[in-house]
Amino acid sequence: MLNIKAVGNYLDTLESESIYIFREIYGQFKKPVLLFSGGKDSTLLIYLAQKALFPANSPFPLLHIDTGHNFKEALDFRDELVKKFGFELIVRKVEDTIKEKNLIDPTGKFPSRNILQSITLLDTINEFGFDACIGGGRRDEEKARAKERIFSIRDKNGAWQPYNQRPELWKLYNGKINTGENVRVFPISNWSEMDVWNYILREKIELPSLYFAHDRKCINFNGKLIAVSNFINLDKNDTIEEKKVRYRTVGDMTCTAAIESEAESIEQVIDEIASSNMSERGETRIDDQFSDAAMEDRKLQGYF
Amino acid sequence: MDILRFITAGNIDDGKSTLIGRLLYDIGQIKSDIIQSVSKSDKTLNSINLAHITDGLRSEREQGITIDIAYKYFTTQNRKYIITDAPGHFQYTKNLVTGASEVDAMIILIDANIGITEQTRRHSLVASFLNIPNVLVAINKMDNVAYNEEIFISIKNQFLVLAKKLKLQNISFFPISALLGDNVNLVSSRMTWYNGITLMQCLETINAKIPNSHITRFSVQCIIETKDSEKGFAGKLISGNLKIGDSIEINPERKSAIIKNIIIGNTYRNDAIAGDDICIYFENGVEAKRGDLIIKNEIPLFFSNKIEATLCWLNDEKQLQIGEEYLLRINSFEIKCRITSIRHKIDIQSFEKNTETNLSAINDFLGVIIETAEVIAFDSFSTLPETGCGIIIDLKTNYTSAAFIIEK
Repeated sequence: MLNIKAVGNYLDTLESESIYIFREIYGQFKKPVLLFSGGKDSTLLIYLAQKALFPANSPFPLLHIDTGHNFKEALDFRDELVKKFGFELIVRKVEDTIKEKNLIDPTGKFPSRNILQSITLLDTINEFGFDACIGGGRRDEEKARAKERIFSIRDKNGAWQPYNQRPELWKLYNGKINTGENVRVFPISNWSEMDVWNYILREKIELPSLYFAHDRKCINFNGKLIAVSNFINLDKNDTIEEKKVRYRTVGDMTCTAAIESEAESIEQVIDEIASSNMSERGETRIDDQFSDAAMEDRKLQGYF
Repeated sequence: MDILRFITAGNIDDGKSTLIGRLLYDIGQIKSDIIQSVSKSDKTLNSINLAHITDGLRSEREQGITIDIAYKYFTTQNRKYIITDAPGHFQYTKNLVTGASEVDAMIILIDANIGITEQTRRHSLVASFLNIPNVLVAINKMDNVAYNEEIFISIKNQFLVLAKKLKLQNISFFPISALLGDNVNLVSSRMTWYNGITLMQCLETINAKIPNSHITRFSVQCIIETKDSEKGFAGKLISGNLKIGDSIEINPERKSAIIKNIIIGNTYRNDAIAGDDICIYFENGVEAKRGDLIIKNEIPLFFSNKIEATLCWLNDEKQLQIGEEYLLRINSFEIKCRITSIRHKIDIQSFEKNTETNLSAINDFLGVIIETAEVIAFDSFSTLPETGCGIIIDLKTNYTSAAFIIEK
C-alpha cells in the first residue's frame, strides 16, 4: 500500500473542477441550497463555494435534514460555522415529518431514521422550491454513487433514474429542468477520501473534533464500535467500554461506527487512512450493509 | 503528481470491467471489505468477480453487463487516475461518449479470439470524434489463444488500417490477459516474444492534456457582486493568458474592454494563465454576461449563424428532427437553434461520408448544418477543442440530445 501525501498539482486540478461546478450552479439555478451535515465533505463544500464566489460570501443557504440523532459535536460545529460566516441555516426535522405524516418511527437496537430523511428532504425542496441541492457525495464512496452524474436530475418524485441519466459531456453541465424536478449537484464527485484529507491539510480547514482521536463510551456490535447514546437501545449482552476512537465519517449516531484510533492530527489521520485495509463506508456505516443495493434503493426514493 | 483520466471501451464480454478490477487489485487499492462484498454477491464463482467492482447497479450485476459509466480511482507515486468504465453495448454508446469526452486516453479492448468487431470500429470512431490524444489497444484474453504472437500481430495490423482512416493519434498495442494479469501491471513470462512495456507502464508515462497557452479564450460563467465592489466576471480561463491592462474583446457583442483586476481563488493577482479559475473586473464599468466569450485576438473567432458540424445523436427516445427548435450550448453560451440539413452520415464500416441518407438514429455520427437564432462566436474544434464543441438540448424534456464538434 502506497502512502500518498499531497505533492504536486492534483489537488489544484480537483479544486479547479469543483470551483467550476460551483460557478455553474450559481450561473444556472435560481434557488440552490447546500446540504450540510456537519461532516468533512459538506464542510469542504462550503470552503470551495467560498473560494468559487470570492469576494462575495457563499450565497447558498445551508440545509440540515435533522434526524434528531446527531452528534453534539457536529451540531456545535454547524452552529459556529453559520455564526462565523453569517450563512442562512434551514433545519427541517425528520421527527416533524413522522408526526405530520403519521409515520412509524423506527424501533430496535439501532433505530435509524436514515430512510425517512428522504421524505423530509423532498418536502423541504417543495416547501422552498429549491431547484438544485448541492451535496458532498463522492464517487469513490460507494458503487451506486460511482455511477452518478455531477448534475444528477431527479424526477417529480425526487427519484434518481440510473438507467436514463442525461449525457454529460465536457464541462457542459446541463441543469435545465421542468417544474417539479430538481437537480442534485455533486461538486466533489472526483475526490477520494485521501484527496479530501490532503486538501484539508493543505488549506488548514477546520473540522468537528469527532474526526480526531478522543475517549468515548462504546459498545462492540459485530465488530463495529457504536457510541453509547440515548438514541440506541442497549441490552443485557452489551458491554460498555471506554475506547480511544475517532470517526472516519459523520452520520447519525444510530448508524455510524467509530474506529479505534490514536490519530489526533490531520497528518496522523492521513497516515491512518493510508494504512487502513478497509473502505470508508465499509468501516463506518452499518446502513450500507443491509443489502448489495442499499444505496441504489435509497437514491431511487430521493436520497442524496 | 498530476491526474490522468482514461476510459476503457470494448465490446460486451471483452473484459473491460475485469481489466479495471485487475488494475485496482494489482495496485493493491481494493480494500478488503470491497473484495469481500464482490465475492459475496456472486455465489457461483469461488474466485472474486473483478467485474463487480465497477458494476454498481443492481441490473448490471444481475445481467453481468455494464449499462452506464462508472468512475473509479487509484493512485500511484506518479499520478492520481480517474478511470471511466464504459458500457460495451451498442445501445449504450451515448454513455461511452459521455465518459470519453474529457479523457486523456482510451483503452480499446479487443478479444483475441474474436478480433475487431463493429463495436471496436464504433469506439475508435468515438475516439476520433472526440480527438482523444492517446489510444491504447489492449488485445485481451491472450490466455485463450495460447499466447499466440501471430494472432496479436494480425489484429494489430487490422487496427492500424482503421486507425489511419480515422487519424487516431499515439496508438500503442498490448497483448494482455486481464483475468490472469499478463502485461497489465506485470510483464508476462508467457509472452516472451513481446518486448514492449506493460499497459500500466504506458499509463504512467503518457501525457495528460494541457490547455493551449497561446490563444486566449475566457467564457463567463457567472457574475459576482458584493455590496462594496463592482461586478466581477467569473469563469475559467480556458486557454492563453491575461494580465491587468490587457485589451480584450467581449463576444459575440464585439465590445472592447481593458482588464482592471484579476482574482484567482481568494487572491488578487496581476496575471492569470490557462486553466485558472478567475474573476475579472473591467475599466470604466464595462459589463459582460454569462455565456460571453472573452478573447485576445491572437487568432480571431468565427462569427456566423450557420455552423458546419459533426454531430453524435444521443437521445434514444426522440429522433433528430430537421427544422425543430433546439437549444444549443457552447461552454456557458446558450441560444436557440435548428438543425437545417444532414450533409452525410459516417458509415461505420468504411468510415466514408455517406451522402445518400437523410435518416438518423441514436449513436449515429452525422455531418450537419446548424443554424442559430442569431450570429454567434466560436472556434473550429481543430483550432481549440474547448470553444469548438457543444451540446444540443431538447426544449421539452431538457435532455442533452446531441454532442457536436464544429468543422467551421
